[in-house]
Amino acid sequence: MTEGPPLLEMRGIGKRFIGVTALDGVSLSLHAGEVLALMGENGAGKSTLMKVLGGLHQPDSGEIRIDGQPVALDSVARAQELGIALIHQELMLAPNLDIAANLFLGREWGSRERSKRWASYLTPLPKRQLRERSQRLLERVGLSVPASTPVARLTPGQRQLCEIAKALGQNARILIMDEPTSSLTAGESEQLFRIIAQLKAGQIGVIYISHRMDEVRALADRVTVLRDARHVGDLTREQATHEQIVSLMVGRQLSGQYFPDRAPPAEREPGLDVEDLVVPGAPGGVSFQAYRGQILGFAGLVGSGRTELMQAIFGATRPLSGSMRLGGAPFRAETPRQAIRRGVFLAPEDRKSQGLVLPMSVAENTSLPDIGSYARLGWLDRKRERRVAEQEMKRLNTKATGPEQRVVSLSGGNQQKVVLGKWLAMSPRVLILDEPTRGIDVGAKAEIYRHMAALAESGVCVLMVSSDMEEILGMSDRVAVMHERRLVRVLEREELSQQHLAHLMTGGASVEAAR
Amino acid sequence: MRREAGMSVALVALCMLLWLSNPDFLGPSNLVNLLRQLSMLGIFAIGMGFVIISGGIDLSIGSVIGLTGVLIAKVSSPNAPGLGYPLWVGILVGLSAALLVGLLQGLLITRLRLQPFIVTLGGMLLLRGVSQTIVEGGTLSLGGSPLLRLANGGVLAVRGDPLLPYPLLLFAGVALAASYVLHFTVFGRYLYALGGSREAAEYSGISVRTVETSSYVISSGLGGVAGVCYAAYIGQMSQQVGIAYEMYAVAAAVLGGCSLRGGEGTILGIVIGSAMMRVIDNGINMFQLPYADADGIARTWRLNPNWTFIIIGAVILLAVVLDQVVHLLHARRRLRGANRKTAARDVAPEELGITRSS
Repeated sequence: MTEGPPLLEMRGIGKRFIGVTALDGVSLSLHAGEVLALMGENGAGKSTLMKVLGGLHQPDSGEIRIDGQPVALDSVARAQELGIALIHQELMLAPNLDIAANLFLGREWGSRERSKRWASYLTPLPKRQLRERSQRLLERVGLSVPASTPVARLTPGQRQLCEIAKALGQNARILIMDEPTSSLTAGESEQLFRIIAQLKAGQIGVIYISHRMDEVRALADRVTVLRDARHVGDLTREQATHEQIVSLMVGRQLSGQYFPDRAPPAEREPGLDVEDLVVPGAPGGVSFQAYRGQILGFAGLVGSGRTELMQAIFGATRPLSGSMRLGGAPFRAETPRQAIRRGVFLAPEDRKSQGLVLPMSVAENTSLPDIGSYARLGWLDRKRERRVAEQEMKRLNTKATGPEQRVVSLSGGNQQKVVLGKWLAMSPRVLILDEPTRGIDVGAKAEIYRHMAALAESGVCVLMVSSDMEEILGMSDRVAVMHERRLVRVLEREELSQQHLAHLMTGGASVEAAR
Repeated sequence: MRREAGMSVALVALCMLLWLSNPDFLGPSNLVNLLRQLSMLGIFAIGMGFVIISGGIDLSIGSVIGLTGVLIAKVSSPNAPGLGYPLWVGILVGLSAALLVGLLQGLLITRLRLQPFIVTLGGMLLLRGVSQTIVEGGTLSLGGSPLLRLANGGVLAVRGDPLLPYPLLLFAGVALAASYVLHFTVFGRYLYALGGSREAAEYSGISVRTVETSSYVISSGLGGVAGVCYAAYIGQMSQQVGIAYEMYAVAAAVLGGCSLRGGEGTILGIVIGSAMMRVIDNGINMFQLPYADADGIARTWRLNPNWTFIIIGAVILLAVVLDQVVHLLHARRRLRGANRKTAARDVAPEELGITRSS
């Protein structure tokens, strides 16, 4: 689209970690003033490729050129000098420092070279000047808070805008954004898209990683798709249809067979009734009814308050007010322990820190929530522990060398199966699944869906939080839609459509009113 | 600054109380001694502060103090088995050893990614053993060495007692320099960034390992400076000198508002925390209440010196408990306020239209 060498060219990039090929001869090019969407399933190699570009990983093979010149990106500092700025998905700001300190961290003296000299380490910081420059950068990204605000006080959306301001302050020519809208509200996202348009006009090249098809189609000039560490296709804006991108990403056409066919029970038996539950930070109470034998999906953008609501039901946080009924009887959990005693279980979104004890074995993780029942006069019945774990591994088809294998070395899908297994071993009444298939490969996903369907069939009341639209549509009997910490509406199966959901999730009604 | 302000008020109140109970508390001899003790603690507590703010911990500091003193005594003591070299040689050897210890520990922690707790715990035991070996289980006297004047001398003599002992001047210099480095320079900014979020620091292109290693060098170095003072103050070195001092330093830093999670704390706070530790320690000896016993004879009630650790421990716990309670109350009030604010916002009826299916 432009003459001359592209702004950035990566050719045949290869990277191996112990036992895993993360990148296998991946190529990519980016022109100035262009937005390139980089797509692929989790684990396809997008993040590794971007870490190579950010100077965090050194490639084993391949070549990187900027403006046609070969370059070696051997450190973060070097990558930044060459005008590459990487905005991470997990935001990289020091919460104890103020915005100004974060925006210029590592570049207090303008250039990094000057900041690295010993004398520069010990000369006074130009605090006021940094603050003024930060304030101007904040204006550019439309963030109207003083630059002296500690980052700890900012919302996730505001932190995202800070990261962008930081990149702008580095005079970046190549800007990489890794799922930037995952923590933004609808309004903040639109602000971001305006900024990206400005960056394009300023001849900056943007690499945009996202799973949200609508954003990609709206923003991207080209789409590059990775699958299994390989480059599998480049699409122009015109070619980049939803179906085309998805079929490249998964390597085949997605079919309806993915989700099990289910017929929910005709009768509605009370499962979990939530009445006016006020979660800390929410603007008001949330009420809904979930029935036995059904899957109630919770749709919404990240940050819409779904996880917080589930944590409150599970007793992990204390609601400010409200009441709940479990199968018709009053239910109240001030701690997860109380919820677990009543058969209300949570498979959390943050599987690795809240769902599992990573250094422990499959068997130890499986018995953990019910450890008391494995004890005889204080002695752990290891045999029974092992038997139960084996039983659950078999039921869920968990791939591990045995119940002794430590869960840290399992794949994401098998880890999730261990989480499910520990709850299935205790016969749940209500099972809350928060993003049950995030970071899980397609095969394991289908299996988990099957087990969810089987659970519902056996009369369990399932609550499923998911940001995956297909999953919500494919698995839910009813869908509760949340937006900005409110429950906007509960949709019946007949009312479900992608458009309708997307409309409500993004605050549809209020956005229309504003226009 | 909330913590610093609270601790200053508590410190002033405590001093007033002690002075009221026993006017000798602010008498020249006790005051000078108190300042001397405070200064020596403050010097290495500041060193510990650098490490804690960067997110680490240095348990070897007490042993570094001991080792520095023992080396000085061994190298420069005029009495056998001292080697009788000039004093500056001894100080040079002692301080160099301290800096080297800091550098080695820092390199182990940053290059091999070992945990600071374990590395400095090993350093603490190992260096204690080295000191013990050098003194051969006995003591080394510094009698007759000009070093003794460092601790006991000073400027602005009033009736023979120097009002400003040299350790206090040294401490003031260290505190000023440390404040400048920590609060006004790029290096200080990097230490806070490292303690607040190691990843953010790393991803901002900061040479994290250099900064972190430097914090251990500073800590050990200031331990060495304190070691010189203690050698001068005690006058004879045994393997016992400096035992458990690292815990005093941690306590002073935490009392002054440092968080062991890293990224929080100020030099002013550490100075106040050190003062608090020493005033309590000294106050346990000084506090007295006159009373009349059953026979009407005037007597004085004193604190049992055996209670020293009980009191110090209780004060530390009380300080962190109060801090946490205030913190939780603040958080709760903010949360309720936020809930009220968003609830009060005008909402479209559409948004409230929670349909219930039954």
